[in-house]
This record gives sequence, C-alpha cells and structure tokens, in this order.
Amino acid sequence: MLVKSYISPKINSRNLILLGLSCILVLLGLISLSFGAFPITFTKVIQVVTGYYWGEEIVSIQDRNVLLQIRLPRIILAVLAGGALGLSGAALQGLFRNPLVEPGLIGVSSGSALFAVAYIVFGSSWTVFATLGKIGLAFFAFLGGLLNTFLVYRLSSSAGKTDISLLILAGVALNALAGALIGLAIFYADDAALRNFTFWSLGDVGGASWDKVIVLGALSVLPIGLVLGQHQALNALAIGESEAFHMGVFVQKTKIIILIGSALMVGTSVAFTGIIGFVGLVIPHLLRIIFGADHKLILPASWLAGAVLLTLADLLARTMVAPSEMPIGIIAAIIGAPFFIWLLLNIKQVRY
Amino acid sequence: MLVAKNIHFCIQSRPIVYNADLNLEPGQMTALIGPNGAGKSTLLKILSGDIACQHGQILYNGMAIKYLSSQELARIRAVMPQHSQLSFPFKVFEVVELGLLSLSVRNPQKIVKEVMEETQTWQLKDKLYAQLSGGEKQRVQLSRVLAQIWADADTPRYLLLDEPTSSLDIAHQHQVLHIASKLKKKNIGVLAVLHDLNMAAAYADHIVMLKNGNIFQSGPAAQVMTSENLFHVFEHPIEVHQSISYHGTYIQSLPINRKNVSIKIA
Repeated sequence: MLVKSYISPKINSRNLILLGLSCILVLLGLISLSFGAFPITFTKVIQVVTGYYWGEEIVSIQDRNVLLQIRLPRIILAVLAGGALGLSGAALQGLFRNPLVEPGLIGVSSGSALFAVAYIVFGSSWTVFATLGKIGLAFFAFLGGLLNTFLVYRLSSSAGKTDISLLILAGVALNALAGALIGLAIFYADDAALRNFTFWSLGDVGGASWDKVIVLGALSVLPIGLVLGQHQALNALAIGESEAFHMGVFVQKTKIIILIGSALMVGTSVAFTGIIGFVGLVIPHLLRIIFGADHKLILPASWLAGAVLLTLADLLARTMVAPSEMPIGIIAAIIGAPFFIWLLLNIKQVRY
Repeated sequence: MLVAKNIHFCIQSRPIVYNADLNLEPGQMTALIGPNGAGKSTLLKILSGDIACQHGQILYNGMAIKYLSSQELARIRAVMPQHSQLSFPFKVFEVVELGLLSLSVRNPQKIVKEVMEETQTWQLKDKLYAQLSGGEKQRVQLSRVLAQIWADADTPRYLLLDEPTSSLDIAHQHQVLHIASKLKKKNIGVLAVLHDLNMAAAYADHIVMLKNGNIFQSGPAAQVMTSENLFHVFEHPIEVHQSISYHGTYIQSLPINRKNVSIKIA
C-alpha cells in the first residue's frame, strides 16, 4: 500500500519540519502561559506544567489556578481550533482541487454558526436540548457545517468537476442566507438567550473551560486521524478525479471522509470559539509555497501551523490591550487579511 | 483478455456508443481511430471504468468490471487521459511516484527511474510540473501511467491511452508509440486512440474504426486500412499506398481543393 519515497532525505526533512513546528508550538504555548493580565514568571510555569517544584519562588495557589483553570484550557482550545481550521483548510483545498477554498469561504463556518445560534436561542426552551449541554451545541454546529459543505459541493460540482466560480457564488449565497437566518433567530431570542449569544459571537477563546476542551478534543481526534490518512488520495486527486480513480483511489470514500471530517472539526470549533476566518486559507498556502505540495507533509504541518497561528493570535489578543481582551478572530484576520492581499498581488510569482 | 460486449452508452437519449464489441488481447497493440465525436473517448472511458455502460458488460480477465474495486482495477489497467491538469505545485518525480499508489512494489525507486529514463524525462525530475512544456507534461503523465504497470507480473494487464501523442514532436511521437509497443512483451495489451493514421498503421497490430458510435471495421491493420474504409469513416479522400520505399503502409489525405481530382482517380 505505502509507496516509500525514493528520496530518503525527503522523509528526514519532512520529520524535521514537523518536529520544528511542534517545538515552536510547545514553546509558544509555554510563553503564552506566562503572559497575560496576571503575569506569572516562566520558571513558575515550567514548575506547574512539569509538576516538579524547585527554586526559591513559591508557586501560590492563585498562580496554579490561573495557569491550570484559566490559561491552559484556553491555550489548548486555541491549539485545537487553529489546528482544525488549518487541517480542514488544507484538506478541502485538496478535495476541491482549488487553492482558494477555505472553511469560511465555502460556508462551513457560517452553517455551523447558524446551527449553533439556533441551539443557543431555541435550545434552552426544550428540556431535551438543555440536558445535552455543550455536546449538543457541538453536535448542532457539526450538522450545520455538514449541511452547508454538502450543499456547496452539490451546487458547484457537475460530473466530478468543481466549478470555482459556482463554488464561490454558492458559498457567498449560503453565507448570506446563514447571516440572515442568524439575525432572524436573534430577533426571536429572549434576554437570557441573547446574553448567551452575545458572549458566543465575540468569537474568542476567552470562555474556555476544561469541559469545552474535553468535548472539542474528543470530537477532533477521530476526524484528524481520518483526514491525515487521506494524504495519498489527495495527492492523486491533485492530478484529477478520474486519474485518481485510475490509480486506484476510492474517490467517493475520500470525499465523504474529508467533508464529514472537516465539518466535524470546524463545526465543533465554531461552536466554542465563534467564526475565525483566514486561518484555513492562509496556512496551507504558506506551507505549500515554502515546502511544496506533498499532502503527506502539508496536512499535519497545516494542523501544527494553524495551531501556532491561533495560539499567537490569542497571546496578542490577551496582552495588547491588557487587562482587557480583544476577540481572537480580529487578530487572526488582522494577520491573515493583509497576507491574503499580498498573495493576490503576487499570485503570478507563487508556484502554480 | 479485456472484453467489451455489446456496449451501449447514451447521453440524454443520444447514443454516443452504440452496440460496440471489442476484444483487447495482452501482447497486442490496438489503435482506435475515427473522426471527432465518433465516441472514441467515451468508449475508452467505459473500458477504463470511469463511466458505466447502460447495456452490455466489460470483462477484465474474465471478471466483470463492476465487481472489481478501484484498487484491484488499478493493478491490471492503467489509463492516460487526454489532458491532466495539476492543481498544486508538485515536482515531476512526485507526479510519477503517484503511479505506484495502489501497488506494493519492492523497489519503487528503480521503477520510477526506469520509466522516466524510458520517456526521457529523468533529467526533469526535480523541476516543478507546472513549469514544463506541453509535450514534457504529456511525457511525465505517460511515465506515471507506465509506472503503474511497469513491474513484471503474471496476470495480463492493459494500458489505455487517449491521444498519447497529441502535443508531442514527431520524434517523441515515435518514441512514445515505440514504448507502447515494447510493453507488449510484458504481457500487456495496449489500446490507443490515435489521430495520425500513419502512426496507427505503423505501430498497431489491430485497428478499430469508429464512426457515429458504431464500430465500422475492426481487424489487422493491413486488412482494415484501405482507401474505401478510410473514406467512409472520415468522409474525406484518403489514399493508402503499400510500398517498400515507404517502409510499409503510407497513408495520404488529399487537400480539399483537389477533391474532385482524387475522386476521379479512385
């Protein structure tokens, strides 16, 4: 099954790149733990994280609580959400055979947002939903994301080929529809639901808690694994859908895995963090320009780099206007949008 | 043997391929010729499993195509479509390597090197695919397709080529068809859609003429390639010469302004 790459340095350089990104992520996570409205020295962070205590600085209970109950869950949430956006962006671009596809652009995020809002607004009045709690929210967001992905795919594809102008148009239309329906839902919301919604729509990881992290983590593991496993099929799909079939790829299975996997990852992320744009578009692009197109590298690297970007954005969001906070989505877009404009201006020099 | 029985395929009730029978034997090269819109590519797509025929059946080595998984199919047949566009910046050797996707070969490096040397693309291996010329791209795609069936195997295998020489210079056209005919020794049956009648006559053992979705004539090249048959299929005066000084069969289509003259001669 596995084709061993015949240039062995390629394998080594791939592992090196992934290792490097992992190191950056861990380091950034530790730095991020020590910064914030309540500064905690780096040595204390290391002590709490590793569980070994040394030196003269005494780690107070307050330090521990800030680190373990507030900062660590929100950093993990940023990592999981950023990773999900990066990975699903890379996988969807590969599936649609188009480097401009992004979960936000094609309506996955807005579909998830719509269903999440519907759950927040109307869910509390139904006892069935009230007992489901956060898992219900994540599940609803997943359904919305899946529905929109499926609709966009059906609208823009004919005879196995995806028409990019139709794809963008379908995405725009579904985004507009979802936005309008969200507005309609808010119109009917009562005060309590409205307050819930306002907190959610700020689109940040500030409200992170361990139960959110656990739900998102548990729901992410399987789709991450499945989507990462599609690297060969995605490489083959880059040549064409019928060519991939000729080479022995079960194209339909790959499509289903990537569409459902992305909807699950992005949907659950959106449910807890709100819509965060551009990560899914920018990260895979950047990696392809630097490291080439092999999905065996691009998929895991996109997860790691997406996690790095969102952790960084979270760090900036928390520290720039401390003790207040900016929504993480704003920072991600501030980093992402100029990059995208630069990309558009330089598209002729980019290797396509 | 690759057998197509009673193939029938319609698009919006307009028959594209109508009642076609075809046998492709390993160790033989068959050329599929016919005018534009005769159904050549559609027939090839039905044979490769891209589209299912509405009536009739396709048998690969006695097995009906609908019972073969895409992976099983990939091990016994390789397909080269007319145009392949790459959507991401892959390097040339990465494209060729993809041909080995469904196989479990012991020495993938050796196969990739061999097929790329065969198609004279080895020197391009570290270039980006998008930077190649049209002819180079076609040869790289051919390398990828060849890699899929290059390793020796006991089971008969098949290679389906849709206009493999369309953007190649004359030397590479010969090169590609020479490679295809060399594959016959590897227990491989080759089917190629060709537009150049001289190339078809020179390299193919067997000719299938397609017109309006029907197989008009099918048989050994020397028997089928006659002026009458070609005139009927292409509706254009075509002369066929048999001569030692032409190294076999020489086929010439006549310019339209001399049509009247040629018809008188015929």
